[in-house]
Amino acid sequence: MRMKHLLMVISATGIAPAAFAQAGPGGSSGSDTVDVGTVTVTAIGTTKNVRKIGYSVSQVQGKGLVSSGESGVIQALTGKASNVQITRSAGDPGSGAYIQIRGQNTITGSNQPLIVVDGIPVSNSSFGGGVDGVVQQSRLNDLNPSDIESVEVLKGAAAAAVWGTRAANGVIVITTKKGKRGMSIEFSSTYAIDQVNREYEKQGKYGQGSGGRWVANNANSWGDQIGLRNGKDSINPNGAKFVADDGTVYGTIVRKGDKTVYNDQNREQVFRNGITWNNNLSISAGNEKSNMFFSLSDWNQQGIMKGLSDYRRTTARLNFTQNVNDKLTIGLNANMAKTVSNRIQMGSNLDGLYLGYLRTSPDFDNSDYKGTYYTAAGVPSFNAHRGYRRYLGNGAPTYNNPGWTLNEQTNTSDVTRFILTPEATYKWHENHKLIARLGHDMSTDRRITYFPVNSAANQANGSFTDEHLQETETSLHFINQGTHKLSSSINLNSTVGYLYTYKNLYSIGGSASQFIIRDQDRFAFINSTTENKDPFNSFSELLNNRVYGILDFDVKDKIFLQLTGASEASSTYANRFFSPSASLAYELTKDLKPNDILSYAKLRVSSGRVGVAPPAYIWNTNYVAASSSSGWGDYLDGSLYGGSIYRSSTQGNPDIMPEIKTETEVGADVKLFKNKVSLGFTYYQNKIDGAVLAIAVPNSTGYSNQWKNAADLSNKGIEIDLNVSLIKSDNFNLNLYGNLGRNRNTVDNLSGAAPIFLAGFTGTSSRAVEGQAMGALWGGKWAKDESGKLILDADGFPTASSEEGVIGDPNPDWRGSVGLNGNYKNLNFNLLVETCQGNDMWAGTYGVLNNFGVTPESATDFTVSAADAANIVDYRGVTLASAAASGANGLAVVNADGSITARGSLKDFGAGNVWLNQYWYTSLGGGFGSVAEQFIRDASWTRIRELSLSYALPKAWSDAVHVPGGISVGFTGRNLALWTKFDGVDPETNLTGVSNGRGLDYFNNPGTKSYLFNIKFNL
Amino acid sequence: MKKIALIFSVALTVGITSCKKDIKEINKENPGQFSDSDPVLMMSGAQLANVLVNEGEAARLTGIFSGHHVGFDRQFVSYNDYVLTAGDFNTPWGNVYTEGIAQCRIIRAKAAKANNKQLNAVACITEANLLLTASALWGDIPNTEACVDGISSPKFDKMSDVHKAAIVLLDSALSYGANHANYSGAYVGNHNWAEVANTLKARAYLRMKDYAKAAAAAANGIDAGNDLLANHSQATPGAWNLYYDFLDWNRSGYISASGSHMEKLLDTSAFFRNNAKTDESDRFAFYFTDAGYTPLDPNWDNGIFAATANFPIASYAENELILAECAIRNGDATAAIDHLNNVRDENATSTGGQYDDYVIGDFGPGQMVPGTTVNDAITKEILVEKYVSLYGQIEPWCDLRRTKNLIGVVPNKGTKLPERFLVPQDEINANINAPRTAGDLFAPLELFQ
Repeated sequence: MRMKHLLMVISATGIAPAAFAQAGPGGSSGSDTVDVGTVTVTAIGTTKNVRKIGYSVSQVQGKGLVSSGESGVIQALTGKASNVQITRSAGDPGSGAYIQIRGQNTITGSNQPLIVVDGIPVSNSSFGGGVDGVVQQSRLNDLNPSDIESVEVLKGAAAAAVWGTRAANGVIVITTKKGKRGMSIEFSSTYAIDQVNREYEKQGKYGQGSGGRWVANNANSWGDQIGLRNGKDSINPNGAKFVADDGTVYGTIVRKGDKTVYNDQNREQVFRNGITWNNNLSISAGNEKSNMFFSLSDWNQQGIMKGLSDYRRTTARLNFTQNVNDKLTIGLNANMAKTVSNRIQMGSNLDGLYLGYLRTSPDFDNSDYKGTYYTAAGVPSFNAHRGYRRYLGNGAPTYNNPGWTLNEQTNTSDVTRFILTPEATYKWHENHKLIARLGHDMSTDRRITYFPVNSAANQANGSFTDEHLQETETSLHFINQGTHKLSSSINLNSTVGYLYTYKNLYSIGGSASQFIIRDQDRFAFINSTTENKDPFNSFSELLNNRVYGILDFDVKDKIFLQLTGASEASSTYANRFFSPSASLAYELTKDLKPNDILSYAKLRVSSGRVGVAPPAYIWNTNYVAASSSSGWGDYLDGSLYGGSIYRSSTQGNPDIMPEIKTETEVGADVKLFKNKVSLGFTYYQNKIDGAVLAIAVPNSTGYSNQWKNAADLSNKGIEIDLNVSLIKSDNFNLNLYGNLGRNRNTVDNLSGAAPIFLAGFTGTSSRAVEGQAMGALWGGKWAKDESGKLILDADGFPTASSEEGVIGDPNPDWRGSVGLNGNYKNLNFNLLVETCQGNDMWAGTYGVLNNFGVTPESATDFTVSAADAANIVDYRGVTLASAAASGANGLAVVNADGSITARGSLKDFGAGNVWLNQYWYTSLGGGFGSVAEQFIRDASWTRIRELSLSYALPKAWSDAVHVPGGISVGFTGRNLALWTKFDGVDPETNLTGVSNGRGLDYFNNPGTKSYLFNIKFNL
Repeated sequence: MKKIALIFSVALTVGITSCKKDIKEINKENPGQFSDSDPVLMMSGAQLANVLVNEGEAARLTGIFSGHHVGFDRQFVSYNDYVLTAGDFNTPWGNVYTEGIAQCRIIRAKAAKANNKQLNAVACITEANLLLTASALWGDIPNTEACVDGISSPKFDKMSDVHKAAIVLLDSALSYGANHANYSGAYVGNHNWAEVANTLKARAYLRMKDYAKAAAAAANGIDAGNDLLANHSQATPGAWNLYYDFLDWNRSGYISASGSHMEKLLDTSAFFRNNAKTDESDRFAFYFTDAGYTPLDPNWDNGIFAATANFPIASYAENELILAECAIRNGDATAAIDHLNNVRDENATSTGGQYDDYVIGDFGPGQMVPGTTVNDAITKEILVEKYVSLYGQIEPWCDLRRTKNLIGVVPNKGTKLPERFLVPQDEINANINAPRTAGDLFAPLELFQ
């Protein structure tokens, strides 16, 4: 299997942009064999000349992944292929990412593509990811990007049909490196600095409190004017006190006088420069008989959050191939990874970082978070936790001090991963070879979540969970490939395959709370009484087998027809499922006279049908452990009442079938002006019938949901890939490249069902709604009359509609990227700018920060005349004049001239000016009010995704230090600039991680930008 | 080479055949769940749903509507202004049907099959309790077509019909022989199911303003010391008092008692109840605490909503006050005062404080308990005593609506108290027989017009 990656667009720069695998050498050469053409890797891991394929495929070279500076392969793909959307869950090191190819294809199933590495499916699961907790990894992060030769993104159904019910979301085919002839050793070392790339601004004018007055421990910053204080806190010398671990004493405040604004200091407590060391050693060797590739890597990263935020991945790989004789080749690809990381609690979580940090009042100093609380009588409580909601540390504060979140809580993940792929190829006939491939992918993940005693809210008495996850996928793959000469002008390549896969997922663990030893950090279940221990386990397995055939007809080396069929049986549905596909490519230029304008043109059309397997265990209505909860955290658990098992509220369905996706695409690949310009264009449309979901049924039926093949979705879109060789000379090469993708998704039919909750909160969620794009944002709206005017209350404030509805669409209108790459002598460079336009996001954090009076928006002021002040009212109906008379200087004050200056702003909703202040923002006008509609924001962005430079040192220099292969140094900047209207956080984030619910921001950990410095030795 | 070919084909055959587990069996049974359950095991789950409905979110919201509580923080600030949307009512509705009524109906069928009449009686009572509460909240609700296999959009029955159906269930329970406290997994166990059934019947008839039948049922209702109490004796999440969980554990500061009508009744204000025969200061201390998150919290610390405080689902106090109200409406002031005094006596023993027996001369214009007439004064006193005694429960809101707010609770915003829960958004969306709109929070329900 010789593989040559001669993609013309990649040129010799060494820094590869996204390349779309297009035609080979063009019309002039009259090329004949695979070996001299550009090859692509097919869905089953074999190679094929791109000239001969009738579907679109995006190819990214391994070097392009490495230069992006991302730790994970998926994240590194971002911006490099059209209509491939990658969204990181958050900026935590090792964070998982969501991949979406050509829109969403299922509602409650996974929208993640199948990942095939060296011909066998591997796991890219991401377990966990709700509205709180920590950011989870995606398992594909376990692969070392430096080991990768190329990545092919197969977007369409026709390309992937041999994978049957796993192919609906596309297939990402990853090929790892092979040894090359001779021997080479490469060592590279990268040092990277990460920084937070976007932050919320906080006001520094008004202090902690409510009603315009300072109130200790108050949640809000609707207090007094900090600048009007006398300068020093008055302390009760005989009162209770908190003594920090460093000896600083905080006494009971009788009167607030401190004028210091601590916003900057509190920020310093939270952020740092994240530092990464990445060292990579690889050895490649080979001769006629055998080749081997060996690598070791170590990625060691400290996150930007100043505390227990880190990620360390160590990998080893050996790829080995031996030609035993002319006919038999045996090989083994083996990969091992150890990933250890510590994460920071985030999201809707009183023990989360951003929640406590951003809500902290500007006049509160967070720096001392741990110490001893003494009552007025001098009785100490150790390990006390001081935060702005309990400044003396007398009991757990309502929200964590960010210092506590960062340094006292533990959230580790310890992953061991093995992927083994032995393979044998036997050429049993001059025209036939048989490939047998075994794949075994296994990972274990031990996760510890630990909250020490005095963590906020309901972790106050301590709690921890110790969980062990084990995921295994074994596959057995037989492929027979044959060539047949049907006539002098028609050749046929045939492939027959059998694939068996078995997957299981096992988890076991337990949690314990209400610690009995309260001052020692131990991950031990003996530290809780029996009723406070909760063991859990789960097991699921899936079996499936598939036979498939592929026929590739080659007519006169210009018409290429491919027919495929796969028949599959699976443990999750009743009957075998058949996936057919066909694709046709016609190389137009073979029938034209060579000319200077059109160098090459291929037209292609393809169509296919693939599926999405339904989830396991949905055939029957089960009986489950009885538990009732109100939605606010309070619940009753039958196991504490002698045990109760009753009928599940989800109704099973024995007739469930796979979801069926049919897709058609047409496209063209064109090269112009002597191959200087390459252009690829694809239009596709697809339709998903019978999407499986637990359809919401009226609760009055006794069920809340029923499994059904209930929904139909569709996608259509276009993809354009472009490459222009602007300058090509011995010393200077310059290429312009880019891509553009546009996808329109519609949930066509939900069988009349209610909108389906995908992720989020009771008030704001991402849902599937009939007639809308998947993931539509859903929540409360303003009440409006028939003419669309706001219905106002008696005081002139808008009111909430009693019913919820669609309030935004998190899907972009289009995405694109444009870049420049090239080299000048020994200097290589690449610039990639990416944009995403028209996507909405719920600014949940911002809305809630308004509620707390922390945003600059909430801290503006205005002045009105005394006459106006008598008439303008706030949401309580209190006039400005009477508020000013109350003497609360943070609410309103009377000026010398009788006019009144007040905190907040004036707004006319249609019945004259009203006063927006605390009482508006903490009610209907804030993030906790019922009108989510007001916090839907345009989250479009444009960013410099990557800027990289590398320089090969003159050979004389490297020879002088005995590095015969050369030394190069490089720099990469990632996310160097971001332009977006979205406030406070990089909108490339998702609260609920790798879930189908999109477009939610609520105290997510922030995103990053990075600067990487690299040196590489070739020995 | 032939050898190798042979090895290959053998490997292939072995590979395929050895892996051939029966593919259809793999996902048939979920290893983490069960295919069926025993009706006795199901009973406590359904009872917990009933407890959650009567003590959880529905009780908190009705408490805000009736002036028991003050929504103080976050979403509850809006709730306090009576700003709610249809989505806010999804969860309690789901609790009623999927975890409550659906299970009760399965249990009844299984109990009938096993000829277990005692269990059948308890399932009937639990189901009736759920229907009565749900109908008090939403008015018209599905009953006859609810939880019936094959009916995908149950029709809504009139509030009065749902009440009648609940009474039929309670009568069935009594006919099955409910004179026991068996199958009480969620409760403390001091009750007698027959008494509970009668008190629930009395509650239903009272709402229907059929005072004679209410009195007749209550005559056999819950006796002193026999309250139906949700069991919260374990101090752990999932078992402890739901108000405690909300007020301290999960949502501290969201609900306050500060400025509530309940506070005004027990503290110096125009509504203050202390008089020569009454001192509410012990009850004040039992009901409220200033050691909480707001100026005055409902007492989760060491009082009525403490972690291990059991919660009444139906009580002697309610039963006696139903008897008292029925008596005064029948013109029998002496009997009414007797029943009222029974409750006052219980107050004195349970929370302490002074609750001397009233006599008829204490009531009327210019008297210790004033009113436009003697009967008016007695009626109001009975209703206020019920309002206070049933702190945190749903029934006082029913009384306010039934009596057109006779005791004069001041609305938080506007001039009207909320009259109903909105039809849940989920039900509107999925049930073609549901009302097309969520309705008006202030539109009185059928029985309370």
